[in-house]
Amino acid sequence: MVLWAALALFVCYPLARVVTEAFHGEAGFSLGAVGAVLGHWANRQALWNSLVLATLVGVGGTALGFAFALAVVRARLGRVVTFLLDAVTVLPLISPPFVSAIAIIFSFGPRGFLTYHLLGLSGVQIYGLTGTLLSEVLTYFPLAYLTLRGVLASLDPNLEDMALSLGAGRGHIFRTVTLPLTVPGLANSFLLCFAASLADFATPLILAGQRYPVLPTQAYLQITGLYDFHGGAALSLVLLGPALVVFLLQRYWVGRRVFVTVTGRAGPRGERPRLGALARSVLIAVCGLTALLILYFYALIFVASIVRALGANHALTAAHYRVVVTTGWKAVRDTLIIALIGMPLGGLYGVALGYLVTRTEAAGRRWMEFVALMNYALPGTIVGIGYLLAFNRPPLVLTGTAAIIIACYVFRYSPAGIRATVALLQQIDQALEEASTSLGASRLVTFRRVVLPLVLPAFLAGLAVVFIRSMTAISATIFLVSVNWTLLTVRILEAITELELGTASAFAMLVIALVYAMLTLLGWGLRRLRTREAGAVASLLEA
Amino acid sequence: MRGGERGVAVRLEGLSKRFVHGAKGEVAAVSDVSLEIPPGTLMTLLGPSGCGKTTCLRMVAGFVVPEAGRIWIGDRDVTGLAANHRNIGFVFQNYALFPHLTVFENVAYGLRVKKRPAPEIVERVRRVLALVGLSGYDSQFPNQLSGGEQQRVALARVIVVEPAVLLFDEPLSNLDAKLRIQMRAEIQRLQRALAITTLYVTHDQEEAMAISDRVAVMRRGALLQVGTPHELYYAPRSLFVAQFIGRANLVPAVIGTATAEGVALTVLGEVCPVPAPEWPVAPGMRVRALVRPEAVGLARAGTRAGIPGKVMEALFLGEKSEYAVEVAGGERLTVTTSDPALADLRPGDAVTLTLRGELIRLFPEGRE
Repeated sequence: MVLWAALALFVCYPLARVVTEAFHGEAGFSLGAVGAVLGHWANRQALWNSLVLATLVGVGGTALGFAFALAVVRARLGRVVTFLLDAVTVLPLISPPFVSAIAIIFSFGPRGFLTYHLLGLSGVQIYGLTGTLLSEVLTYFPLAYLTLRGVLASLDPNLEDMALSLGAGRGHIFRTVTLPLTVPGLANSFLLCFAASLADFATPLILAGQRYPVLPTQAYLQITGLYDFHGGAALSLVLLGPALVVFLLQRYWVGRRVFVTVTGRAGPRGERPRLGALARSVLIAVCGLTALLILYFYALIFVASIVRALGANHALTAAHYRVVVTTGWKAVRDTLIIALIGMPLGGLYGVALGYLVTRTEAAGRRWMEFVALMNYALPGTIVGIGYLLAFNRPPLVLTGTAAIIIACYVFRYSPAGIRATVALLQQIDQALEEASTSLGASRLVTFRRVVLPLVLPAFLAGLAVVFIRSMTAISATIFLVSVNWTLLTVRILEAITELELGTASAFAMLVIALVYAMLTLLGWGLRRLRTREAGAVASLLEA
Repeated sequence: MRGGERGVAVRLEGLSKRFVHGAKGEVAAVSDVSLEIPPGTLMTLLGPSGCGKTTCLRMVAGFVVPEAGRIWIGDRDVTGLAANHRNIGFVFQNYALFPHLTVFENVAYGLRVKKRPAPEIVERVRRVLALVGLSGYDSQFPNQLSGGEQQRVALARVIVVEPAVLLFDEPLSNLDAKLRIQMRAEIQRLQRALAITTLYVTHDQEEAMAISDRVAVMRRGALLQVGTPHELYYAPRSLFVAQFIGRANLVPAVIGTATAEGVALTVLGEVCPVPAPEWPVAPGMRVRALVRPEAVGLARAGTRAGIPGKVMEALFLGEKSEYAVEVAGGERLTVTTSDPALADLRPGDAVTLTLRGELIRLFPEGRE
């Protein structure tokens, strides 16, 4: 009941406010605002641009993710190389959204390190689709990688051995057995990357500029630039359409297929099939270059944070970090407070809802899960505008408080914890609880001594995701910051728009360090729990 | 363990339970089952999958609430009692060991829940672990154990709390064949030693025969027959029981003369004296004769008089051989022999069969 009320207040109500605001004309209900938005050619262009960009990111991210997954699962790279690839792919997931964008400007911009200084080119145009695409693919391909690695690793090698024994060649097997079995995973990866790109607000804001307007940035500018809430709501509502389609596709089409071959109880496993020498070399080259590019980006950010002005004045300086600990310190402190308050709340909410959905007969529990997960799938712009509209006036005024930001993070990023809890509980045989009962334990004792310890990994995973997102997200909360409470990511954005890239880099390094420290701590906690999947930072993020 | 006390009786009275099935609508899982398990004995519920045996067991455990009927443990009516107040020990098919607890803590769980003092817990857990042969495994986790060891921990975990009743739900089905036989003997040994009244569920008739004092055969939610393994094998009261337990040849036959002592039966072209059935028979009546493989004598053709037949299939099983033999009229009988001299019969060989009439049971034609 409490959960239902919370969901209604913090998920349904803001969404409803976006819808009513968008359809609310001078004389009550009207399609005017939405019609006007769609009537404007620039907005139609933005919608089209958003869809094109998202499709390209979906294809590019899935292809790159598949290459990484194949390399890690099939190319026999050895433990060290695999570990390094994993570490590199995790970096974009735990970074604030601007890192690759800044690095791309440093490298390929008008005075770019690679294009201007190294190659002597001038007039290279990185702003627009190319730069945005490059940045988003590098940022989101790890989502595809994590999905596809799981799928490839769980394919039963016996199936491919079977095809081999029937006389099929390597390439033929790949086309007729491996690829078809991976299709649901590929579709899922595509949808993940598509949705991430569709919702991405930060990258286009910096890299796409006026040359390539997309919906989230248009909605943002509509509200912060023109104070046009109608238009902003209407624009974000246009975004809602494709986002909902993706969410429903993922849940009801892919969701049913993804686990078909993951039986968990395969027969004795043969060796994983090998790759041909040529395919192996190509894969290693692709993954190696990508990994190097990512490492180079981060190295660049690090260097930028300790020199006066990268590309112009390379004298070492601590000035950027001085900004961080002086004028920037408020943002650091605010962000940490918000993240640390949101973390336990989000973790508990995730476990409680997950338990309710899987283990009780609570009324409407399916809908509860649906609503909770939907909030995760919606682009942050919609959620942000919804919160702005909903909590700006009575009955509940939260604008300008930390509570509105915390609520946004808790309800937006706990679904990872919910899914982890549901997945864990589905693996936990009900017989365990019955065993405890038959040994004399009451319901409460059973929950405390058996259920709770077993879902602890999910709780920690939930904590990790809420923390990471609290440190790195921007698309929803940029609408919610105020003079009283601001966020690191917003501060980074300000620094970028004021062209203080060194300061922005210093902030970014700080965020990465903080997130990494927290993940290490939680990873250590997980290992202490002696669970199988302990330790791997990546596994925290898969949910 | 408690010495001297010989356990309590468990009584099921008219238990019924229906489930709502997605496709079939409402299905009676258990209908009007009454059963008494004498103190300290092991009763097996035997039947094909879906016959309601597990539902029965779970009703005794308190995991499923019956719609009608009562359950008595000793002189206590436990029908409305929650599972955690029934003082039963339930051994699950997949053991249901707590994966986050060590072997010691798994076994200690019930004692900790009952808030026993620490020294007593250590003492009792150690004793039970020794009893199941797992001394020294205290600090292992379940996933470090083999299937047989997990099974022993599951056993130790329930017997340590000294339950009034032990309940087993297909406990051996996850083990390989050799281990299954070994664990079966072990469960039997422990049950006899502790004299705890036990209800055991399995679909494996051989396991049921080997382990049980008494067996209750179930089918489609109803109890068909309760008896010792010996009674069920040699005196089945229905064709279903006859066929479910052991191997059975069912051969059409005709009653010749009938007296109180016996019947002269015409079967496979021979006249053979067999014991009179419990139901009335008359000369000329068509019946079905249950002929167990060991009630048929086998010889090479021409070595003695009997029913001529031809070997159709031969199966060499080591200590015995099994043959499918076709006789005149097209009837096929399964015949076993442990005579090494007959182990080399091949399909197509001619043989002679003889019947041991005293082992043949009669069933009315056209009834199950």
